[in-house]
Amino acid sequence: MAMAAVVFLFVLMGFLPTCPAAERSTAPLSHEEQIRLGERIYREGILPSGEAVQAVVKGDITVPGTSFTCVSCHLRSGLGSSEGGVVTPPTNGAILFKPYNSSYKDVTNDKRYLPSIGQRVAYTDQTLARAIQAGVNPSGLTMNPVMPRYLLDDKDMALLITYLKSLSVDFSPGVSEREINFATVITDDVPPEEYEAMLLPLQRYVNLKNGSINLYRNQKRSERMAASMLVSSELMYKKMTLARWMLKGPAETWRKQLEEYYRTQPVFALLGGISHGDWKPIHDFSEAHHLPCLFPQTEYPVISETDWYTLYLSKGYYQEGEGAARFLNNSDETAPGGKVLQIVRASRESQALAKGFEETWRELGHDAAVTISLQPGEKLLEDTLHNALKTEKPAAILIWDESGAVPVLDLLSSDALRPARVLVSGSQQAQHFGAIPEKVRAFTYITYPYRLPQDDAIYNIYIAPYKKNPTTAGAYDLNLKSSFITTQILTSALMDMRGNYYRDNFFDVIGMMPDQRYPLYERVSFGPGQRYASKGCYIVQLGSGDKPELIKKSDWVIH
Amino acid sequence: MLKMMTAVLRFLSIMVLCLFFTGTAFAAKSEYRRTIEHYAVPDVVLVNQDGHKVHLKTYLQSNNPVVVEFIFGTCTTICPILSAGYANLQQKLGADVRNVKLVSISIDPEHDTPNVMKEYLKKYRAKPGWDFLTGSRSDIDKVMYAFNAYIPNKMSHFPLTLFRSPSDGSWIRIFGLMSSSEFLNEFHKVAKK
Repeated sequence: MAMAAVVFLFVLMGFLPTCPAAERSTAPLSHEEQIRLGERIYREGILPSGEAVQAVVKGDITVPGTSFTCVSCHLRSGLGSSEGGVVTPPTNGAILFKPYNSSYKDVTNDKRYLPSIGQRVAYTDQTLARAIQAGVNPSGLTMNPVMPRYLLDDKDMALLITYLKSLSVDFSPGVSEREINFATVITDDVPPEEYEAMLLPLQRYVNLKNGSINLYRNQKRSERMAASMLVSSELMYKKMTLARWMLKGPAETWRKQLEEYYRTQPVFALLGGISHGDWKPIHDFSEAHHLPCLFPQTEYPVISETDWYTLYLSKGYYQEGEGAARFLNNSDETAPGGKVLQIVRASRESQALAKGFEETWRELGHDAAVTISLQPGEKLLEDTLHNALKTEKPAAILIWDESGAVPVLDLLSSDALRPARVLVSGSQQAQHFGAIPEKVRAFTYITYPYRLPQDDAIYNIYIAPYKKNPTTAGAYDLNLKSSFITTQILTSALMDMRGNYYRDNFFDVIGMMPDQRYPLYERVSFGPGQRYASKGCYIVQLGSGDKPELIKKSDWVIH
Repeated sequence: MLKMMTAVLRFLSIMVLCLFFTGTAFAAKSEYRRTIEHYAVPDVVLVNQDGHKVHLKTYLQSNNPVVVEFIFGTCTTICPILSAGYANLQQKLGADVRNVKLVSISIDPEHDTPNVMKEYLKKYRAKPGWDFLTGSRSDIDKVMYAFNAYIPNKMSHFPLTLFRSPSDGSWIRIFGLMSSSEFLNEFHKVAKK
């Protein structure tokens, strides 16, 4: 409070920094180092001293800048945001130092509709420092008090300004006047029919987009309609390309292959993509090049709360393990203190399921599960299982096993020590739901990370165009629907970017999108830094018969 | 005819943009709207930042003042300000902090798990007495409806602060963002009631 008063007193008395802040005593630091330190102030609200920036919001609320970072509202690209009725204008290098009339074309100079909001002369270092410290723009307009006033000394202010000058200045690679280039990554463990199914909606989208260029050229009426209605009309004549980056051989060699593709043809972003292996090498490549990757089709995403450049549809197998943990956390038998027995096959998928369960179970405050590991091909003996039940007296059992879950369920059905709930993975057992014996269905619970088939049927219309294709007629719905979601989000993102082709802006605008209802998932949702669009996983049980109905036993998101 | 259609379309798109611009960071007014309301709190079970179950109806029936806001963990603009108001009040209250119940209810229950909420509270240096609640989408919807605060989509949310009077259970509803002194002023009115 007292600090705020001092700042405003300084403003009133005109004691603002009078020389360009960026030129002050930063000489010993290299330009890169200044940018790094400025970026830290912008993104984390941490000063080079390690202290939090101090800020004042709404006139008199003193807050640590760590909870009011610049990036919070102006976003990573600096292009600003619109949320809760507050529009935050852009503060990137390309826009700050030029006069600003908002980025909305055609209407911005029309005073009948817009007052002088968002309009200003170009910033200088001096006026920018004044805006950050005192909330006055270079045209003398006082900013809304939701814009924090930051208490930065000249040296730290110079670092921040140096950073802002470098922020989103030149468009990212992969975009030119005439084209926007994308690629999709495909690894050679995926059969051609399957990756073609992933590609079909993407390629159709690209073809439709590029076909419309001819339409606009030939039909002036369509051209005028599009120019009037599209938020981002400069896209009209931009051609879209989609390269296939095919990766061959072991995963250790993927990075080198990706670097070579990228060197030959840098792209703006990666769309979709598919692998049955671990996505990590491709994820790391995206991080290293700040190259966004939108919705790769993988069951093995990287689970990270801080990585930025890959947006996944879900956490894959991990998410099912997470769902199992949340479900058991809510059941009377296992909370608190009830033991859980895990039977885990030594395979990538079973271990991903186990990891999701173990990490979430621990986070929920439970003791680690007792685990029986099964090597590939190894059969779980009846005695081993019975002894484990006798010794551990588990309150629930999890079977993460792509090949041997049903025989274990069979053994359990006749064991008197069996607990009330046994969980298996829906993704692992989906092909064999009918083969799960009726006698085990009453105690078998299944993680199911999608909308139930009977409810998702109404969304099949979105993949109907591909059902005429003999390859995809009776299969690959998951790939088709996933790629359909990718095209929908891509459409909105390209519009919302409003011609600002910075890669960070691509994910910034997706982060600001409303929640969506698409095929496959009950809800896909976004938010700055949220990197797994679907957060849910049902727990279901099976009805009777050869094609059993799935019966919900939990909410989509379990708390 | 074509010219007219284009003109109409252009006008409509201008109108949409005008609506969009009404809350710009420069143009928004600082006043807030204040009303006295009576709400029937639904009987739902939510989950707090420690993973503990909270029976909302009984939880809000307190002999101390209660403040309720709707926020979400990855919100960019509005929620940090609302939460800064809570943090500031706790700081001002000092030792009396336990005599006030500050409640943040998630409008993004898909993402706001107890862990996410705990980290959020840590960021605002929240002290005991400030709880962040999440729950099933249907229960959260019931709560939003009950407080006439239904937000179909988190990105279109609005700033709302609700103060519950311990004396008669009535609520002061504040629509808009308050400064710290305005927040304290409203709080003291409820606390003294």
